[in-house]
Amino acid sequence: MVSSIAVKVGSLELKSPLILASGTCNFGHELSEYYDLSILGGISSKGLTIKPRAGNPGVRVAECRAGMLNSVGLQNPGVDFFIENDLDYMNTLGCGVIVNVAGHSEDDYVTMVTKLAPYKDKIDALEINLSCPNVKSGCMSIGTDPNEIAKITSLLRSITDIPLWIKLTPNVTDIKSCALAAQKGGADAVVLINTMLGMAVNIRTRRPVLTNNTGGYSGPAIKPVAIRMVSECYQVLDIPIIGCGGIESAEDVLEFMIAGASAVEIGTASLIHPACPVDITAGLEKYCAGNSLDLKDLTGTLQLW
Amino acid sequence: MTEKKEFKCRIVSKEFLTPDTAYIGIECPEAASSAVPGQFVNISCSRFLKRPFGVASVSDDGRILYIGIKVVGKGTEELSGLMPGDEISMLAPLGKGFDLTGFDSYILVSGGTGVFPVNFAYETLKSSGKKVAVVQGFRNASQVILNDPSFVLTTDEGDAGIKGTCIAGLDSLDLNSFPNAAVLCVGPIPMMKAAGAWAEEHGLKCFVSMEQRMGCGIGICLCCIVKVKADNEDGYVNLRCCKDGPVFDYAEVVW
Repeated sequence: MVSSIAVKVGSLELKSPLILASGTCNFGHELSEYYDLSILGGISSKGLTIKPRAGNPGVRVAECRAGMLNSVGLQNPGVDFFIENDLDYMNTLGCGVIVNVAGHSEDDYVTMVTKLAPYKDKIDALEINLSCPNVKSGCMSIGTDPNEIAKITSLLRSITDIPLWIKLTPNVTDIKSCALAAQKGGADAVVLINTMLGMAVNIRTRRPVLTNNTGGYSGPAIKPVAIRMVSECYQVLDIPIIGCGGIESAEDVLEFMIAGASAVEIGTASLIHPACPVDITAGLEKYCAGNSLDLKDLTGTLQLW
Repeated sequence: MTEKKEFKCRIVSKEFLTPDTAYIGIECPEAASSAVPGQFVNISCSRFLKRPFGVASVSDDGRILYIGIKVVGKGTEELSGLMPGDEISMLAPLGKGFDLTGFDSYILVSGGTGVFPVNFAYETLKSSGKKVAVVQGFRNASQVILNDPSFVLTTDEGDAGIKGTCIAGLDSLDLNSFPNAAVLCVGPIPMMKAAGAWAEEHGLKCFVSMEQRMGCGIGICLCCIVKVKADNEDGYVNLRCCKDGPVFDYAEVVW
């Protein structure tokens, strides 16, 4: 038997569980200078909005002990520019094409998905960003309310049959109710988790390091939180989970999958070691071969005490 | 096109130029032979993110790349302690460098850690035979590094060279001997603003190398933005210091 690292997220087949997380790979141009992105299961575009966004002013990054805060604020060229200039390019990369959709209101998400729906041959999944903590309205403020999540998901479901992945925020008391709301609305999968809201203080100026005051915390520090949320949601969901949060190694990927993820997203690690998916892929292949198993069979094999 | 990579390379030389500024040589032929002045490297330390440094020089044989490390925090403190033989992980060369061919002569202005990339520009211009002047600005004599007797030296405190800012140094130049000149400046923001304004007054183009807090250094996180004038609703776009720069046209930056 030849072991395989291919996985399935619902009906979508991916050659690898590794997907580049939105906001840490732009549209693939820069990282493709470092390695052949066709080894990946997919790449999720920078979060897109209807109009171009300049993003937040000032200092956007603060280093922390085991991760970083960012407050980019969804800087992006706008969905029309993306369709015109980047969508075809993403389709040349040889991996799954996931388009990340952000908005400030229900109407924004509807408009965005309506614009993208005609390109279903070029889009493997729409990742609905209900979780960006760095914009004043929409995104996370919608994604913390299960009723809103269900409503917006079912609205979008009625517009397109492109797989809908709902990317959820960890900044909630009960992640299960949010994931179940996405499932109820007709989502094909949930992505767990986006960044955690955080703050860093400059002790000399007594001001926040970030000009936006707060930012999204990412990196290895949030991995245990993400794993816990994946595990909790796996126990109650019927739809698949894409795990995300602090993944740096093949072992991290395996942890997520055992806890219940069908695929994973690599985010902040790409900022530090751009070609890290090459080593992670090799590690996964070695693990599967060494254990004579297909990676997809690992999902949800966690035995709780 | 997968032509870039993260290098594992060795430190081959190290000296302190001042008590808090180290100058290290890194053996990395692939990066050293392709680096151009204005570009930078991003080096791992035990902190979470890499640390960016402007390329200060490359050896004549194209094997060794030099950087200056001014200690400003824990990451730079650790990196300044590197010794010959130590191995580092490095992304290089990064960013877009200076245009060193489009003008007939160059006036280089530097201060702070800007003396490092300007040193590389000076060496490159000199070996290409271009007419070049260097104006260095420091706080006082104890800060003076990478100085050459041919440079115009200025210090705020006046204990070395001309007393005053780099503008006093620029004013001392005979511009008639610099045909079709460009001003290149790397230093603190006030210095770059002043040098750019001086260049405009004298009808010269000025290019500056910007510094911003960086996440990745390769253009994917969009953290290190520089506001650049644009013909849109906002009147500007946020470009990436690391990928679209760090060199920008002074006249295009929103200061």
